Amino acid sequence: MFDPYYLQQLAIGLSQGVIYALMAIGFTLIFGVLNVVNFAHGEVYTVGAFAGLLLITAFAPPFLVVLFVVLAVGAALGFGLERIAFKPFRRFSDEASLKSRAMRESTLMSSLAVSIVAREGLEIAFGSQMQTLPFEYLINKPIAIGPVTIVTGDVIIFVVAALMLGGLQYLLTKTRVGLSIRAVSANPLGAKYVGIDTDRTIVTTFAIGSMMGAGAGILVGLYYGAIFPAMGFVPGIKAFVAMVMGGLSSIPGAVICALLLGLSEGLATTFISSNWADMVAYGFLIVTLIFFPQGLFGAGRERV
Amino acid sequence: MTVTRRTLVGIALVAPLSFVGTAFAADPIKIGYQLPLTGNTAQYGQDFKTAAEIALDRFNASGKLPVKVEIVYEDSRSDAKEGVAIARKFVDDEKIVGVLGDFTSGVSMAAAQVYKEAGMPQLSQTASHPDYAKISEWQFRNITTQAGEGPYNADWMVSKGLKKVAVIAEQTDWGQSVTKYFSDELTAKGGTVVMTEYFNRGTPDFRSLLAKIERAKPDAIYTGFFYEDGANFLKQMKQLGYAVPVFSTSAAHNQKLIELAGPDAEGLSLTTNFLPNSPKPEVKSFVEAWVKARGAEPGQFPAQAFDAVNIMLDAIVKTYPKTTRASVRDALAATKDFPGVTGVTTFGPDREPVKQLSKVRVVGGVFSPVAE
Amino acid sequence: MSEITRKGWVVPVLLLVLVFAVAPFTLAQFGKGYFFQVANLVLIFSLLAVSLHLVTGVAGLLHLGHAAFYGIGAYVAALMGTDLKLGFLWGLPAAGLVAALFALVVALPTMRLVSIYFAVATLAIGQMINTVLLNWVAVTKGPNGVMLFSGIKLFGFAVKGPLAVYFVVAVVVVASIWVLHRLSHSYYGNALRSLREDDQCADAMGIDTVRLKIEVFTLSAFFAGLAGALWAYTTGYVSPGDFNFSNSILILAMVVVGGLGSLPGAIVGAVLLILLPEVLRGLGDLRNVMVGLVMFVSILFLPKGLFGEVSALAFVRRNLGVKWGAAPSEREVGWR
Repeated sequence: MFDPYYLQQLAIGLSQGVIYALMAIGFTLIFGVLNVVNFAHGEVYTVGAFAGLLLITAFAPPFLVVLFVVLAVGAALGFGLERIAFKPFRRFSDEASLKSRAMRESTLMSSLAVSIVAREGLEIAFGSQMQTLPFEYLINKPIAIGPVTIVTGDVIIFVVAALMLGGLQYLLTKTRVGLSIRAVSANPLGAKYVGIDTDRTIVTTFAIGSMMGAGAGILVGLYYGAIFPAMGFVPGIKAFVAMVMGGLSSIPGAVICALLLGLSEGLATTFISSNWADMVAYGFLIVTLIFFPQGLFGAGRERV
Repeated sequence: MTVTRRTLVGIALVAPLSFVGTAFAADPIKIGYQLPLTGNTAQYGQDFKTAAEIALDRFNASGKLPVKVEIVYEDSRSDAKEGVAIARKFVDDEKIVGVLGDFTSGVSMAAAQVYKEAGMPQLSQTASHPDYAKISEWQFRNITTQAGEGPYNADWMVSKGLKKVAVIAEQTDWGQSVTKYFSDELTAKGGTVVMTEYFNRGTPDFRSLLAKIERAKPDAIYTGFFYEDGANFLKQMKQLGYAVPVFSTSAAHNQKLIELAGPDAEGLSLTTNFLPNSPKPEVKSFVEAWVKARGAEPGQFPAQAFDAVNIMLDAIVKTYPKTTRASVRDALAATKDFPGVTGVTTFGPDREPVKQLSKVRVVGGVFSPVAE
Repeated sequence: MSEITRKGWVVPVLLLVLVFAVAPFTLAQFGKGYFFQVANLVLIFSLLAVSLHLVTGVAGLLHLGHAAFYGIGAYVAALMGTDLKLGFLWGLPAAGLVAALFALVVALPTMRLVSIYFAVATLAIGQMINTVLLNWVAVTKGPNGVMLFSGIKLFGFAVKGPLAVYFVVAVVVVASIWVLHRLSHSYYGNALRSLREDDQCADAMGIDTVRLKIEVFTLSAFFAGLAGALWAYTTGYVSPGDFNFSNSILILAMVVVGGLGSLPGAIVGAVLLILLPEVLRGLGDLRNVMVGLVMFVSILFLPKGLFGEVSALAFVRRNLGVKWGAAPSEREVGWR
């Protein structure tokens, strides 16, 4: 009696959601320590995908090697990004500057400027079209489970996202690095006073977060077989929305909201035209914010 | 500051040409070409530029005119703000007698307001908005609109017994016209449109939409997409194990589609007015030049741009030496039986091209003509 | 006092002379439509940046959907001009009012949000409005856009030629910016600044913060709507792509690069970010990379903006604020 069609749509929505979640994890982590939106996260995702593409076309290594190299590239990108676009703005450590909104917003703009340069640079180097990928690398071989069809990529992305989330939770709660990240995001000044090297903590967080972003980029690139300079834009916005819906401070919250977003978009297509599906996602966000002004999982929780 | 910049740009554009050019040449005649060379649609603009360069080099080498013709390329990013500014810039340059472009209908139409006011002939290779050529007597285009292609496809599908059709198209002015003209003809011929839906250009995931189409149980799908969305659509269709015939328009006719979708593109049927493997000499030499420049076969759009440039040059030749914007317009309007690579082109009184369409299908990784 | 009064006249007069005499005269010297087009764009985006400045700079609310209200204005003006045959004189105020009305409706439930929650709510609102513009084909004509053939007509006279159009745009923009200047450099503006610095404290001092936020959001949308009408009438064609998220970010970038909280800064930012891509045309494909780099360098070296708030306030106080002094016999109000 239950229409397998809905199961299929559910599966599709879920796989969309996992992709958003992959992106949202890194986004939330970085937001946590600095309290600034990192506009360049979408470009980290794109550059990660292009790094993977270059590697594949040059050496054709096994899939796992590609993934690990891209993760390393991502970490390097995060390090570089933090040094270029964020660190210079922490040179003013007086209280007025720390509280100044202009300072905070300018960090936001510096990441935007870096993202413009990165995207336009990629466009000049590669052209804005979708890049051709060797078919054997694509992770889109169908797997039929009863009436529902998923692809290998769904499984891979799900496993990677679960591993990332688990690993991150372990890192944050069980290790000293994680402790210092949580300390900095709870109160940067306080963390400094108790002897935490905030600078190092921040850069570490960027490396970890960007690693995840770049990993997401190559996975999604191989999943859709579509790698192009503007690919990071939409997932970037969706990850941002998921993060805020989840309450900014909670990574599991962001993941759950990313899944919800994906699901709502997938199911919306059934009832309304797919070009209106965005409306549902954003409407959902507004309604959530009206009733839970601190996000779904935000209030009263420890940051990160 | 502005003066120096303009001068610099001028020098940069003129310098390389004047060295190779003839010493006695009078002032060159200029054509403006506004196209997206950067931004999300840059790949199309870059293609047009290559096609235009091929056409222009040949023309200048042929010596049909005692003076050189130059093309001034300006990057519009497919942004109406920039497109309008470029239009004003072209209008200001008295040496420019005609304008080619833009790529999207939106930018072409925003710029068209300027050209209409100033009296500048504008020939777009791709603007397919139904109202584009109606803006004024100065607008021409070298693309068959969906008013021609849609019914052609509908008749083709009906003749193959595919009567229940799901129609999807991108949510652009072009996509709107794709569904409209196709659906009108299909219903008139006794078919039914079981579902019409639009998607946003650049959507990565079509699977929800595909599942929805599958539930509507059509005999075939008629699609208005460009090659990138097309590749995604076809790949994901294969993933879901869903197989019905897919028909499309000339916009999907691009070698990149096959490159991106690989075996999943097999069986895609579409109409086109450019056949790269046609034996016609003009097509052969264009394809050769293109392959030399780009290393792959050209698709429909570069061919259209190539023809658009040649039609414009032809109009300039006809008017020379009394080449003015008005005379070029009249010459364009009088274009008749122009032998282009996209077929023989004649502008009707509505400044729309009349062209022959052909049917092709992807078989064995190539667009192969079919007779059905 | 007398010296200040004299000085207080100099700068505004100079600015007016610049906008209404020097600029058009110089542009007319070049005799080119292109320069007028760019000048119109600069003016329209100055108005957008200054109206966003009121929300984001003065009241400190990060607004990521400003272009949507600009779009509503443009569509209202264009649709009134084509479907209802109501010209510029009707379209202009209507564009502002409808945009403001929309802003009011969406503001009522969302303005209780603070900081980043507010920002993402505005992002969502902007995206939703854009989705509607794109997909509600019956009313907005969807992706086909709206063509507006009837140029600007004022009291039965057709405004023809780039110079005349420039003057119409300049008058509307200057008058709007003057209103926004009076708002942001007043007690009202100070209340908004208190909202930015510490909204809880402002609340405790008896400022109705939610109401203030709704007011400022609506006001800013009104002026964005006016800018939209100007855009519709200067280009004659509007389509949804002109009002997407990237444009919201562009306007925000103008405000931040110019100096958050500084009205002159917002104008400087608009001038820079409109002129730069045009000036760099000679660089070909590299120009957008250069725009990004210039933005980055300017933020890196002047993180508080090209014309930061503190110096901007000092500038305004010294050169434009004098009128705030009341007659000598009365108690002076405002800051000078």
